[in-house]
Order: sequence, then C-alpha cells, then structure tokens
Amino acid sequence: MGTLLEGNAATGHLLRRAGFGLSPTDAETYRQLGFEGSVRRLLDELTEPAPPDPEGFDPYVPGTIQQVWLDRLLGGRAPLAEKLALFWHGHFATSDAKVQEPLLMWRQYGLFREQGARRFGELVERVSRDVAMIRWLDGNANRKGRPNENYGRELQELFTLGIGNYTETDIREVARAFTGWGSRHHDFVFTDAFHDHGSKTVHGQSGDWDGGDVVQIITGLSRCHEFIATKLLRFFSRPDPTTAEIAEIATVLAKTGGDIRSALFVLFRQPAFRDTSRERALVKSAVEYMVGALRTVGAEQTPLWVHGALERMGQILFRPPSVKGWTEGTGWLNSAAVVERFKAARRLGAAHADAGEWILDLAFDSRLPPTLSSMLESAQGAPRVTLALASPEYQLA
Amino acid sequence: MLINRRAFLERGIALGSLLALPRISWAQGDPGTKQPGARTLVMLHLNGGNDGLNTVIPHTDPWYRVLRPGLAIDDGRIRKIHERFGLHPALAGFEQLWKRDRLAIVNGVGYPNPNYSHFRATEIFYTAQPERSPESGWLGRAMDAKPSEKPLRAIALGKEKPLSLQCAAPGIVTLTEFKQFKLPEDMQATVEMYEASRDLAGERGAVARRALEAIDVARRIASLNPVRTSFYGALGRELGKVVALLRSDLDLEVIHLSFGGFDTHANQAASHNRLLAEVGNNLNAYQAMLDKAGIADRVTTCVFSEFGRRAGENLSGGTDHGSAYPLFLIGKGVLPGIHGAYPSLEDLENGNFKYTTDFRRVYATLLREVLASDPGAVLGAFEPMELMA
Repeated sequence: MGTLLEGNAATGHLLRRAGFGLSPTDAETYRQLGFEGSVRRLLDELTEPAPPDPEGFDPYVPGTIQQVWLDRLLGGRAPLAEKLALFWHGHFATSDAKVQEPLLMWRQYGLFREQGARRFGELVERVSRDVAMIRWLDGNANRKGRPNENYGRELQELFTLGIGNYTETDIREVARAFTGWGSRHHDFVFTDAFHDHGSKTVHGQSGDWDGGDVVQIITGLSRCHEFIATKLLRFFSRPDPTTAEIAEIATVLAKTGGDIRSALFVLFRQPAFRDTSRERALVKSAVEYMVGALRTVGAEQTPLWVHGALERMGQILFRPPSVKGWTEGTGWLNSAAVVERFKAARRLGAAHADAGEWILDLAFDSRLPPTLSSMLESAQGAPRVTLALASPEYQLA
Repeated sequence: MLINRRAFLERGIALGSLLALPRISWAQGDPGTKQPGARTLVMLHLNGGNDGLNTVIPHTDPWYRVLRPGLAIDDGRIRKIHERFGLHPALAGFEQLWKRDRLAIVNGVGYPNPNYSHFRATEIFYTAQPERSPESGWLGRAMDAKPSEKPLRAIALGKEKPLSLQCAAPGIVTLTEFKQFKLPEDMQATVEMYEASRDLAGERGAVARRALEAIDVARRIASLNPVRTSFYGALGRELGKVVALLRSDLDLEVIHLSFGGFDTHANQAASHNRLLAEVGNNLNAYQAMLDKAGIADRVTTCVFSEFGRRAGENLSGGTDHGSAYPLFLIGKGVLPGIHGAYPSLEDLENGNFKYTTDFRRVYATLLREVLASDPGAVLGAFEPMELMA
C-alpha cells in the first residue's frame, strides 16, 4: 500500500468519483469540509428527495429527459445521489429505444434517485415492478404455462448474481415466479389469472413464490452481495478491486440487509480508495467527461450541442446500447469519441477562456502531472482550458 | 466440391439435393485453417421489411397472382433470370450482377416463431439470439471471439452503433461523415500531450496509447473522400463512403449500413419500385468499383431485412409485416445462383411464408468464409451453407 491522498488532492479525487468533479461555485465548500467531511455530506444528501421537475417539464419533447438530467448532474446538487442514479441506470440498463415512452424512463430514473441508496433488495423488487423494465424485458409476455424467461435470466445474470452463479432451472423457476407481473398503460398490474401458483424451487428454496419472494431469496445470497460489491468498487474505486476489498463491502451488505449507503460509506473510507496509486484509475464515461468539463469551466446549463457530442462519444442517456449497459475503461476512447472529446474541449475553451484562471486548480487540484505541466502552464486563457480538458489526465477520474 | 456450381444450380436441380451433399465438418473441424486475409463483410440492412415476394418473383407459380391481385408485376416486365425466378423490373442492377456472377440469392430466410415488430425482429437479426434479450450482436461476438490489437475493426455508418456490433471488444466506431474525424488544426499541442504520456505507467499510459491509436485512425478516416460518381440517392451517398473505406488501408472487418423506407403498408408499387431501383443500381455500380479497384475478392456484401412482408397484399395497395424473405449476397467470392428453397405460396402460416433457411446458417457461412471465425462459438449449432465459391 502506498501513501494516501491528503488535503485538496483527496477531496478532488473523492468528488471526481462520488460526483462530477469540482466547479468554481462549490470547490471551496468541499475543500473546507475536507475528505471526511465531504464523504459525510455526500452520504447525508442521499436521503434528500430529488428536486422537482422543472416548470413546463414535458418528457415527450425529444431530448427533454436527457437535458433535465444533464442539468441536474451539472448543477451539483446531491452529486453522489445523481452519480449513483447513473450507476444504476447502467446496471439495470433499460433503453427508450424499445420502451418508447420517455415518461416511463423518467420514472425509472426517479426510482434510482429515490431508492438507489437504500436496501438493494427493495430496489430490485421495485425495478421488477417498474413499467419501463417490464416493457424492456417482456414482462407482459410472461404468463402461466408459457413463461418468458427474459427477466428471470437478466435478473440473475446481470442484475444480482453474475454469470455462473445460477442454474438454468433457477432461471425457469424465477420466470414462473414473475408470471402475471405486467403493466397496463403506465402502471404496474398483477394479473392473478396469469400467475403460476405452483411450487417453485429457487436456489434450493421451495414454495409458491412470487416475484417478491424470489427477489428476497436472490438478494439474500452472499454471491449477490459480492456481485454488487464488485460492481460498486469497479464504478467508484478501481477497475480491478482486490478480493479483500470486495469481501469488506460484501460483508457490509450482508450485515445491513443490503444497504447501499452503508456500503458506499465503507467504500469511500477504505484506505485503498484514496491510495495515491488509485488516483486517475478510471476512464471517464462520455457523460462523466462532458458533465465534468462543463462543471470545471463553470458552465451553468448544458448547451444544446452537448447532446450531439455525447451521441458521437457513444453515450445517450436513457438509451444504453443493450441490457449490459455501456462500455467501460479505454473502450470509451475510440476514434470518433476521442475526436469528439477534443472538439468539446476546444469549444469549451473558446466559450470559457476565463476558466484559464482556475482550471489547473480545479481539474488537477494544482498537482500537474510532470509530463504536462510545462505545456499547461505556458498556455493561457482559451488554449489552456482546451489543453487541460483534452489532456490524457483529464480523461481519467 | 462442385466443379461448375453455377451450371449445376441453374439447371434447376432440386435444391434439396444440395443439402444432401457431404459437408465440411466445421463443428469438429478447424475453422482456423482459413486465412483471414483482410476480408471485409459489408452488411446492408433494408430497413422496414422488404417485400421479398415482389423482389425475387416465383413467376411460374400461379399463386403469385392470386396473392397479389393488385401488386403482382406484369409477367412481361419481370426480369426472368432463372426458369422459376425473376427479379422486380426495377432491379436492372441486380440482373447485371447476376450476369457477371456476382449475385447469390438465398430464398426463404427466416427463423422459428417469427416476430412481426420492426424493433424486435431487428434485434433478432442483429443478435442472432431470438430466444434472448439483447446483450451482444452476432458480429460483436465474432469480434470478442477473435481479440485483436487493431484500434479499428468495424465501422457502422449512422449515428448509433447497431446492436449487431455490440460487444466487449473495442475498435468499433460509428461514422456519419469523414470530416467528423478531422481534428481541428490548432490542436497539435493536445496530441503532443498524449505523445508525452505514452510511456507512463498504469491507466495514464494506457489512455494515452489508446487515444494515440484512435487519433491515427481518425486522421486516416478524415483524409478519405466519399466516391460520388455513379451513385445517387441516400443509399448511393452511403455506398460512396463504403467504397472509400474499402479502398483505404483501414483493413476493416465489418462495415454496417442501413437503408430505410421498406415499410410499405400502403400504395407500395411506386415506392417499392423507387427503393429497389436505388438498391439495384447503386449496388451494381458499387460492385463494379470494387472489381475495378482490384479488391472485389476480399469484400462480401450481405443485403438483408428484419423480415419480409405478408404473402397477400392488403386493401391499401400495400403489404403488412411478414416473415421469410430472399436475402442477397454480392461479391466476387459468392457462389452465384439460387440457394435455399423458395417458401410455398400456398402453404402459409398466419398468412406468412414458412421459412426454409434459418438466417443463422447464412451468418454461419459468412463467419466461416468471410470473417474466418468459428460459427459455433458465435451462433451455436448452425451449419454453414455452400454460398461462397
């Protein structure tokens, strides 16, 4: 184990992971709170309700739900709550390409925002009743006598246990337990006539289970705790968490009935989280990059061009490419995306030349990588902002 | 195996006999023996569901005119390329391709329990996993199965990466315009930062190296110019980019593009005519350019749709969503002729054609013959067909 990040370096690191970096308006607040104080504040905000929808909010106007969410990410209120919602959006990856109902997508985001930091089991149960998810994974086609295994499979493969930790029998039986869980218009409906009341055996436990029962059984398994611990660590801490780090978070989940907030509290305070060797260890997703850059330069709203830029960078909110979610790591940096990140950096530099004053402080906590320091320090104004945002260092959180 | 396959097929010998021929035992055998040799698969999706019955017309079948009292093509206008099958009159381009031995027609392409939703049926053709929710594309899985260090392996024309190319492997980009890849000229200092970071340890170096590869590829793409001569319309514009990409040194494994408008529920005759003319004329010009450029032997083009259309026409002068349809393979490497049995026009299922050729067998062929990939690992047990010379 190396040395720990301290002072502004630790706070900056925390906010890049637990949020979208520092902005000129909130940097001072977090820096005064310091690392520990900022962790507490970010976690306290997890229980606050989400802000109300803006006046005149109409999810059916194309681009609206993306714009409103991006503005929230940018605004910096309860950044961990928003970051966690983004994590769950990628985890339970549901796309409006199939759901075709932005209102339902927006409600699903609301669910992540509201339930995302509470008990994982309850989150999964509510996701199982979520109408966007039901449409996405064919819940309405899952009926007694002709079960549709789509949700039963993805629930275990992608959402709770991971491949290899369930059998084909578990998939069939879980699908049977969810028969009759469907939707009408925008609402969840349970149709008893479609539900299979026979006995099911799921992970060794038998009974007339319904969807809620099997979610309880599955989310109580230690493999589930490990799976979720690993995913949280890979998103917030490092791409290759150690078994000890995973075990520590999994234990918290086991002891607290799956409480995500408790798991995050321990995760951010693991020495490994703020070890200097873990600094800049995660490649920013397109949204993390774009929102972070807008925050760093002090933008107050998401400019419209950002939507097209994000599309070319490979990430449209509410439209993940598949149920597996978005790519990760250097997978974000294909030719189209790199060019687009550079162009965005240039555009933001031109529009926010004044950010040259603070960008080295906010983007790098005034700790410039030696390979870049002379270039960045000799540039001024717009070119400096562009260089900072386009730098290899800034692609990493 | 077959000395003169074209002649064999054209004599109209029962197609079933082809299936009885001994097959290469790919399952136990060794898909790796085929050298990849920089081959490219071009996948063209005719979006909306192309009316197969009026594309490849079984002109001797009396049921054709029964099913299509209004939309049947006059017998004298059908391009009769075969004793039993003819092409839509707008497909002069395909007739040219046929005469030059560049066209393979695969009849009756479909799968069990067909889905009639554009979205779901497209997912099925893109994932080749009808029984699963979409996670990865069939071409994506082929990329995953053959990891490569190349920074660029596939290009999808359009804005969103198609599900067919969804995978863990990097190297797949979407492209709308070549100039979209052009870096602003004043950004040389940015690139220098990446050069300076190339040898750093950990993610910093990894990011720098990956981005430099991406920048290099972007420069090569940005230097290309779409071919404009001989092409027309929206499909022509896209094919002009495809030709430029194929003639470049980018060494792509897959190019995906799509051409829409085939959802012809009403007044189909005029629009289908226009669409097929655009497909046929542009693809004929495209193939001629590949031949002229001397690269025809390493490019295979597959023209597919998410479904065909209902056998019978509707009351609006159009056709509704259907199932099995004829698929086309174009290229110098294809085994020209008619493949797969044309579905019965009489024995229908809910008014739809019963498929005779599982699309995954076509894919298995393309995986083995074009992408030198193991079809079993990507698709499961679907036997490749004899579609490539």
